[in-house]
Amino acid sequence: MNQNILTAEDDLQIQSFIDYALKHEGYSCITASNGEEAIRKAREENTAIMILDLGLPDMDGKEVIRTVRLESQMPIIVVSARDRESEKIAALDAGADDYLTKPFSATELMARIRVAERHLKNQIRQEDSGGSEVRELRIDLNKRLVYLAEKELHVTPMEYQLLEYFFQNIGKVLTTKSIIEVLWGKGYGSDTQALRSLMAGLRRKIEKNPAKPEYIITEIGVGYRLLDQ
Amino acid sequence: MSDNIGPAVSRKPGRFTALLISLGIFAGASFVGYLFHIMGFPDTNVVVVYLLAILLIVWSTKRFLYGLFFSVATTFTFNYFFSEPRFTLSVNDPNYYITFVTMLVTALITSILTSRIQREAHHAQKKESEIRAINNLTNHLTDARDAEEIADIAVRSIGDVLEVSVGCLYFDETGNPENTYIFRTKRPEQRELRRRTEKAEELRWRINELRTPYDETDEFYDFPLYGKDGTLGIIRIAREDIDIEDRDLQELIHSMVDSVAMAVDRFRFIRQEIHSREEIVKERYRANLLRAISHDIRTPLTGIIGTSEILLGKQKDPEAIDLTRRIQSDAQWLHSMVENILNLTRIQDEELELKKQPEALEEIIGSAIERVRGHAPQYDIDVEFPEEFLLVPMDAKLIEQVLINLMDNAIKHTPPDRQIRILVENDSKARLQRIRVQDEGDGISEEDLPYIFEKFYTSGSNKPYFARGVGLGLAICETIIHAHGGTIHARNRADKQGAEFEFTLPYGGETYEPEHFDRGR
Repeated sequence: MNQNILTAEDDLQIQSFIDYALKHEGYSCITASNGEEAIRKAREENTAIMILDLGLPDMDGKEVIRTVRLESQMPIIVVSARDRESEKIAALDAGADDYLTKPFSATELMARIRVAERHLKNQIRQEDSGGSEVRELRIDLNKRLVYLAEKELHVTPMEYQLLEYFFQNIGKVLTTKSIIEVLWGKGYGSDTQALRSLMAGLRRKIEKNPAKPEYIITEIGVGYRLLDQ
Repeated sequence: MSDNIGPAVSRKPGRFTALLISLGIFAGASFVGYLFHIMGFPDTNVVVVYLLAILLIVWSTKRFLYGLFFSVATTFTFNYFFSEPRFTLSVNDPNYYITFVTMLVTALITSILTSRIQREAHHAQKKESEIRAINNLTNHLTDARDAEEIADIAVRSIGDVLEVSVGCLYFDETGNPENTYIFRTKRPEQRELRRRTEKAEELRWRINELRTPYDETDEFYDFPLYGKDGTLGIIRIAREDIDIEDRDLQELIHSMVDSVAMAVDRFRFIRQEIHSREEIVKERYRANLLRAISHDIRTPLTGIIGTSEILLGKQKDPEAIDLTRRIQSDAQWLHSMVENILNLTRIQDEELELKKQPEALEEIIGSAIERVRGHAPQYDIDVEFPEEFLLVPMDAKLIEQVLINLMDNAIKHTPPDRQIRILVENDSKARLQRIRVQDEGDGISEEDLPYIFEKFYTSGSNKPYFARGVGLGLAICETIIHAHGGTIHARNRADKQGAEFEFTLPYGGETYEPEHFDRGR
């Protein structure tokens, strides 16, 4: 299928590299070089996915995301420098789905696009079945059970809740803040110790080596992500 | 300057002068006594005149012993010349014995008291003038604009107050005596000149090893000027000019030397302060510039890395593929350089407060491996981790950078089919986490080992491509680990060929206790 992908990027070389990579994989490209143009094109063109550089000259990336989110649930992938964690978190909390760190490779870019596409499909299909799986790891949302390689895994209620949240957002970066809000509520604050400890416990159950995770990976300074493949 | 610094203490007359004065007073008193006697006054008046004489003698000679001697002398003179029978030492009226004894005792007490009062007055006067001298010195020193002026004031004041030839010799910031020093000869010439420092090395050693309040040579007594951070110099006084056994004098010298030391110390401190403030401003400017440049490099770098990757996919010619790979790896190298520089500027900026948070090292290792795999997918890095879970305060991004740099370093020196592994240990006794990155590469040469963490050191071997960038990467590792209060070491492995880098992360006062989890299977 020939999805329209909007790239909002003011650097020409990066723009052309992204364009090329996308076209090579058979997508149609729409480009914008500032925030205003990005918002307009997101609205007018039939845009499926948006790639948004957070360093656009005319407006704050968060503003672009919020404005687009008012009308559309299209996946938004933001592009940002590595040492700008707070910028990424703010963008994710404003409604972005994923992020790419500069410099990134075409492989990384396409991996993110594929995740976004799957999201699109899931949005269309809604959650039809009562379960979901990622490779060997499977969750049964009706029975509230977790399986690893077809064997039932004993998880605590908190661990189950955590996994459930990840399975609802496969491939997506979940910020530490949003996970804490889901698990402990909004009033809990920003203390990450309990989450880190919970995550360590869960990893010891689902990962072969918790320091080389295959399912839930850490995005340092930002949050976690359940890898879908 | 020398106008109001000077000796104010009246001095004892010499022995000969004292004797003449005493004899004069004694003769005068005897003459007055004789007149009284002729005029028929009672003998008691003669006694009073003699007592007055004793008082005057002690007062003018400032010598107790003279008082003592003349007490006895006057008693006998009175006995011989004035008491009946005259011109003998024998006495008719036994009442005279009482007169003699009373006279002697009174004379003695008079001389004792007078001399004591005098001594105290003398002492007080001396103390006062010393205090004035030190105050003067301190005041002048406060106005001094530089070290030269301090030295000048010091030699003038000390020279004038003590009437000595004196020099002021500085040691430089590294503790070495300067080549020349200011020296001022004593009265009457009072010539100021610069003298050459003889045997500087020996002088330094002697002063540093000094266990007594001063050092002595054939020519001088050297009094060290001690500052907060070591010896600032010496005040040297010509040996022949002072009596070093005089305690009061020594005390005075020490007070003056201390004042000078304080002034020099303050001056150096201020100079250092200004210097380091300038350095900080310069350093910050440099860091900002570096950061801005690095940020800007990242954008075209993204284009280069991305485009070269696409180019690589389109190439069929093996030579073109090789060339494109080279572009890619150079761009990758540049990228890691940029990341390192950015992190370095970050540490320097936040030197005082790292953004430390309780972190799980396993997460950071996982992320670091993921990133290394991004540019070196042919390497598989093993991790051995303790089962227990521990939160350790650290700046996650910086520790990730350390791990990436150590792994990149290992990769540079290890072929892909050999093992690279990360070992983590919790040392609950020392309250720290110990992390080792081991490779099976060629190891580190003995000559590189001591310098391996030095900034911008790249091994001297003629393999520029391999060595490139290693210097900065490892130097940054050291900076980051030290900023965390940990240690970092490089060594060759004992068990097999290869290098091992070990660093520690203390969790010292923090209260995160290890947790154990069941595996749930």
